[in-house]
Amino acid sequence: MKLAKWTVGLMAGMSMLALAAQANAGEVRVTVAEYSAKTGPYFNDVKKEFEAANPGITVKFEVVPWDVLLQKLTTDITAGTNADLSIIGTRWLIDFVQQDVAEPLDSYITPEFKDRFIETFLKPSIMEGKTYGLPIAASARAMYYNKELFEKAGIAKPPATWTELQEDARKIKALGSGTFGFGMQGKEIETDVYYYYAMWSYGTEILNKDGTSGLSTPGALEAAKLYKSMIDEGLTEPGVTSNNREDVQNLFKQGKIGMMITAPFLSNQIKEEAPNLKYGVAAIPAGPTGARGTYGVTDSIIMFKNSKNKDEAWKLLDFLFIKEQRAKFTQGEGFLPVNKEEAKMDYYVNNADLAAFTSLLPDARFAPVIPGWEEIAQITSDAMQKIYLGNSEPEAALKEAAEKANAVLKK
Amino acid sequence: MQNRILPYLLTLPSLFLAAVVIFWPVWDLIQISTHDVNRFGQLRDFNGFANYYAFLADPDFLAALWRTALWTVLVVCGALLLSVPVALILNTDFYGRGIARVIIMLPWAVSLTMTAVVWRWALNGESGMLNSALMAVGVIDQNIQWLSRAGTAFPMQVLIGILVTVPFTTTIFLGGLSSIPDDLYEAAALEGATPLQQFSEITFPLLKPFINIAIVLNTIYVFNSFPIIWVMTQGGPANSTDILVTHLYKLAFRIGKLGEASAVSLLMFAILLIFTMIYVRLAMREQRA
Repeated sequence: MKLAKWTVGLMAGMSMLALAAQANAGEVRVTVAEYSAKTGPYFNDVKKEFEAANPGITVKFEVVPWDVLLQKLTTDITAGTNADLSIIGTRWLIDFVQQDVAEPLDSYITPEFKDRFIETFLKPSIMEGKTYGLPIAASARAMYYNKELFEKAGIAKPPATWTELQEDARKIKALGSGTFGFGMQGKEIETDVYYYYAMWSYGTEILNKDGTSGLSTPGALEAAKLYKSMIDEGLTEPGVTSNNREDVQNLFKQGKIGMMITAPFLSNQIKEEAPNLKYGVAAIPAGPTGARGTYGVTDSIIMFKNSKNKDEAWKLLDFLFIKEQRAKFTQGEGFLPVNKEEAKMDYYVNNADLAAFTSLLPDARFAPVIPGWEEIAQITSDAMQKIYLGNSEPEAALKEAAEKANAVLKK
Repeated sequence: MQNRILPYLLTLPSLFLAAVVIFWPVWDLIQISTHDVNRFGQLRDFNGFANYYAFLADPDFLAALWRTALWTVLVVCGALLLSVPVALILNTDFYGRGIARVIIMLPWAVSLTMTAVVWRWALNGESGMLNSALMAVGVIDQNIQWLSRAGTAFPMQVLIGILVTVPFTTTIFLGGLSSIPDDLYEAAALEGATPLQQFSEITFPLLKPFINIAIVLNTIYVFNSFPIIWVMTQGGPANSTDILVTHLYKLAFRIGKLGEASAVSLLMFAILLIFTMIYVRLAMREQRA
């Protein structure tokens, strides 16, 4: 009797397992990054709409905070339990391609599908002639400035060069009462990028033409000295190395900062959190030769090679990249349109903030497609923090960082 | 004969469990640390001790190792010094003792990460609570940028580490104190022993096993403690507040050097194992003597 019960239980369990396996056949699992509080609800809607339109396919979204996304993917892939699709930073894509975990999508992509995308944003996901990812999110950087502070300080228009920016920062600093001229980021993710803005203006690229690190060039040194002198002169907020991007953005929202460089999503945040703040968006200042650069970023959605439901997964991708879906996602998160038809919508055409960003796109640099990029970014951020703190002279810090970066590049 | 085998048989299930949760991961780590491994943990060629040489030559690792020792010693000793008097007070009978106990225990109930997040806000240079409070009292006339340099960030992290370690340590000591019979004190009082003498002759010696336990457990927890430092500074600026765990996390999940990271974690495991073995030996010898 006892044994019989046991067998029944076991068989019930096994049949449940079989059922679960069957359900898995039409299931598409997707790991998505949580960009904001709107990400989860958006993908919930996608699930409902897509499943209604495609009976037999179920979609499961796993929403993961940005900070732990790479860690989750690493452990999932190691254990072989990764989803079918995942959003990744396009700068990580080379690792995924080299380790042979990403599936090329070319066999699915029709000319019509490809034509939906703005070329600039699709290009970073193409490697060795194959398309490994689709740009799900795109962003660039521009300079935000506080119109009220500018008016009080008697500044007519946003600075066009770094020299003008320094002068304007001095005037804003002179206003006193806890206002700072230029908001500088010195902590956590993209600390290196904040430095590249100045570096690009001085004509230095992240990688020299011969593939070595650009950090040992005169332009890189000029840019580092510029930032350091601004910190020393008190033109930035105090304690630069304790402020990450969000901290500086918060100071800007509180009206304490005259100028800062960041992404389009700050406009959305200001609309919700500080609707009375008068601000404008302008180009990133140019260097002495007129050179300037902004940072272009895309996140890609990729398909894993070991996915068992590739056709179903592609159907979902196709659905995600129709104009209506794109518009809903992009506008909610405050990204730039990647879809040509979408970019023609009134929302984008009549938006002065976004226009400032899109006009900078010809100067956009994307993170170089090299293995070990994250390590080089870390090396650069560390060097900048040492310089900002005054622990190390700019020459010495940059030289050391360039050597370390070159060692990584040689591998 | 049967009696001899029985104990082994009875411990077999828990030994099996220990093997699954301890030995297997350690074996896995040994594998990864002695191989060339890609960022997704797939093993390539055996490369001997290359991963070990790589991290031993890294100045950031050596700095983190030294800082971990400092961090552990400061937090464990600080918590110990603070917990003994707190436990002694909470053990006496006074009005509102229940509430006082709850207040002391409260930090324990809050997740470590949340505590760290709250402190990160409190230590914010421009809008942090601590600066406003100090300013209001008149201690400072200019905001202190607590987290901008290791010189101010690390001491604050140690203080917070002590704060969150006190509840657990106090609990252990309270348990120890309640096991000391009251008649010992009564007898001592009759003989004319001062409170100080009572503490050094009765309380402290009888509390010693509990102090030993607190030292071993806290050392293991604090040595491996990740959230406080990660949330507040991510080991920065420029790796100047890194301890081994945060260094390890960056190696593994930022930069993708899983081989080196596994080697570091094995070293950490070895350090803790050796420490615990030595300490338990010493403590037991003392007890026997």
